[in-house]
Amino acid sequence: MTISTEIAHRVESLIGRDRVRAPSGRETRAAQLIAEPETQEEIGEIVRMCEANRSSIVAIGSARTLGAIRRAPADLGISLARMTRVIAYEPADMTVAVQAGITIGELNAVTSPSGQRVALDPLNPGLATIGATIAAHHAGPLRLSEGTARDLLIGIGFVGHDGRAVRGGGRVVKNVAGYDLMKVMGGSFGTLGIITEAVLKLRPVPAVYAIATKECTSASDAFADAAALNDAAPLAHLEVTSPAPSEAIGLAPKFTLLAGISGTATEIEYLRETVAKTLGAACQFHARDSADQLYARLRDLESFEGLVAQVATPPSALAAFLIEGGVEFRAHAGCGVAQLYSRELSPERQLETAKIMRLRARACDGYLRVLRADPEIAGEMDFFDTPSSGALTLMRRMKGAFDPNGIFNPGCFVDGI
Amino acid sequence: MRHDMQSPRRMIESSFMDAGADGSAQVDKELIAALGKIVGDGGLVSRLSELKVYECDGWTIEKSAPDLIVMPRSTEQTSAVLRTLWDRGIAFVPRGAGTGLSGGALPVNAPVMICTSRMNRIIAVDSADRRAVVESGVVNLRVSDAAREHGLFYAPDPSSQQACTIGGNIAENSGGPHTLKYGVTTNHVLGITLVLPDGEIVELGGAAEELCGYDLVGAVVGAEGTVGIVTRAILRLIRTPQAHRTFLVTFEDVESATRAVSAIIASGIVPGAIEMMDQLIVHAVEDAFHVGLPASAGAVLIVELDGLAAALDDQARTIAAIARGAGATEVRLAASDAERGALWKARKRAFGAVGRLAPNYATQDGVVPRTRLPDILRVINEVSGKYQLAIGNVFHAGDGNIHPIILYDERIPEQVRGAIDAGREILAACVAMGGSLTGEHGIGVEKQGEMPLLFSPGDLIAMAELRHVFDPAERSNPNKIIPSAGSCVEVAAPHRQVPI
Repeated sequence: MTISTEIAHRVESLIGRDRVRAPSGRETRAAQLIAEPETQEEIGEIVRMCEANRSSIVAIGSARTLGAIRRAPADLGISLARMTRVIAYEPADMTVAVQAGITIGELNAVTSPSGQRVALDPLNPGLATIGATIAAHHAGPLRLSEGTARDLLIGIGFVGHDGRAVRGGGRVVKNVAGYDLMKVMGGSFGTLGIITEAVLKLRPVPAVYAIATKECTSASDAFADAAALNDAAPLAHLEVTSPAPSEAIGLAPKFTLLAGISGTATEIEYLRETVAKTLGAACQFHARDSADQLYARLRDLESFEGLVAQVATPPSALAAFLIEGGVEFRAHAGCGVAQLYSRELSPERQLETAKIMRLRARACDGYLRVLRADPEIAGEMDFFDTPSSGALTLMRRMKGAFDPNGIFNPGCFVDGI
Repeated sequence: MRHDMQSPRRMIESSFMDAGADGSAQVDKELIAALGKIVGDGGLVSRLSELKVYECDGWTIEKSAPDLIVMPRSTEQTSAVLRTLWDRGIAFVPRGAGTGLSGGALPVNAPVMICTSRMNRIIAVDSADRRAVVESGVVNLRVSDAAREHGLFYAPDPSSQQACTIGGNIAENSGGPHTLKYGVTTNHVLGITLVLPDGEIVELGGAAEELCGYDLVGAVVGAEGTVGIVTRAILRLIRTPQAHRTFLVTFEDVESATRAVSAIIASGIVPGAIEMMDQLIVHAVEDAFHVGLPASAGAVLIVELDGLAAALDDQARTIAAIARGAGATEVRLAASDAERGALWKARKRAFGAVGRLAPNYATQDGVVPRTRLPDILRVINEVSGKYQLAIGNVFHAGDGNIHPIILYDERIPEQVRGAIDAGREILAACVAMGGSLTGEHGIGVEKQGEMPLLFSPGDLIAMAELRHVFDPAERSNPNKIIPSAGSCVEVAAPHRQVPI
């Protein structure tokens, strides 16, 4: 199946031939044709064209997320590779306005000389664009201390239906003027429009970072330690990994607790003592380069073969869910969120496993989202959990209001939205 | 630039409004009886003298008493009440404690007021998950009181926290001095029970941190009661900091105080709060409460650090050095909890003290990027000269959230006019500096007219569309936030006169 050459020609006539290309690599599962616009206006024109033709369109980021969850490629993928500008950065305000195509890695390179960072640490920040991080609500270990995009996003610009450019929020850290369009777009997976700009709060880069690890004989020991530690001290992050992920990040193949601490030298000294006292003699500290490298491996833990999912439960319910689950995991123990790695390769078994894990997640007031499965069953897999029927009705209305023609990344969000 | 909002609004209204159901149908005996059956006679207020009490919230310029007040005790009662109103085509206005400052709880074309005050149970405090489940009529401070024994607290702390309700906080996305470090209400609400205008009960979000579909909780928080009535919420609780260090820092002038604010923010230390009071306010507070503020000060900052006790002394030394570098003449550390308490009391009661300075005053709630604080204070000074009106400043400096207080005498018409124009001029300057019309008070009816300074017609239409997802017939708190032909009120007197 290919997009009609007529549509390709139209996009070319709108933004020029050199900025329309065939997808490559992961992109081939996300979209049939890639356009690289340079302005909101160009995106607006493309959106209007797609609406007129009822062609589906989606911002693809690095295509990691969409490549996994789209049942079939969208007609047109928008790459923001040419919209990566820092629009405004005043270090003393600790805010930054950017075009959404910039990656977190690129942005941090701009802010780090001022001792600041965008405190979002999804998998491989060098690939993760700001737009994708917001749209897919990506987060990493630092969510425990810094929150997620939901907490750090203070302004948004997007192109919606009819090609209209919409802005919400602003550039100041405290602002309650108007409805919160940042929340509308955050976690909407490209189904309501194309995020083109974002304004984020920045945070200071801590002077010192260190990480404590402790090998545990069982998952329940590891979670008991994690709970005690989370009560004892304010941590930067707190993970428990099962044996295979532990090994993948360069540690022994055991259940492992990893606790990040950060702050001034004095704070680190105190935190180190507290952590050592809570975890006992078996805990080991990693400092400086070795800490940074271990953190990066933990953050960038690539998924294993098979089924990958993310569960979110009330924090205290997570341990039991994972202990009984029998799958490998990386758990953000203080947040009640974990990535699950079922190394089941058979597509049928993947479907079954996802179903069972989802039922178990629901039983403890949680949700389960499938992050990746065998492409063969992408059409049958429910990647998203289904919210309550009342909430779902509102979500359908939201989709109808913001995307009346149903062109924005259709068919791959909650309940087929 | 001002945009003409009428044509896009008409477009929206014609596509969404139910024919013939404009929400303005009348309250009659039959309705009162029907609602009385749901909530009991004790849950209704219909006597004119009692209704008068509810004719305004903290924004006292416009007044309009509802025809009937209903006080449900539960989500189910709220649902039945709204269903009854829906069937009769009657619009309603939700109300918490009425401490809002932008007229959010002012009835405008909404004959019935729904008060959440009888839904005031704290259902659970879960220390393991650091969550509280509360009904929306619970007073803010009670949540922290209930969490204290677990070493936890609820972070958003508006100055009205002894009276304001969680439901009201959710509607306004309320802040407070400590939002600098901990964020505003939206960062602390994980789940809500919402009763839609047609009476349907929906559960949004939950105790888990991830989203399941669109972030509807985030859309409801800050929607100023225009999407239905929140009856219950799951709140995030925060661990109580080990220790505090609270400073009173004195400066000769406002410029050096704002320089200190920028330098503190840029240093990488995130204080719990940085509050500023200028000379006019310092004098008023000192005259009223005698807390030992330095009378000769051109401006003072209250800077509060919180966190690990082991680290605070280091940070305190850094802050003191930064302040002195910016020209502080005195850096005084609160020596005891009592002294710290006195400083905060002075700050939170500053507005009460202003009443001594002039017969009337009007407060604005603008925001600027923090680096523009010196610029906006200069503008305020110029505006004060231009209109010959004294303007005091007491505000959340760390967030760039200003609260200029314009003093005037309502018996002198040109002063009244001047106070209105001065307020608008300051807000326009905030927006021109890349700031916002409101940091924590909301748009309500007060600033509807200014919304086009900040948002294009397209932005406002998108916002109206969002509202219509929840309330397509505009029955819940009609004529708020978004300017429209029906709601544009020419303000004839300046803004509020109550504490923030």
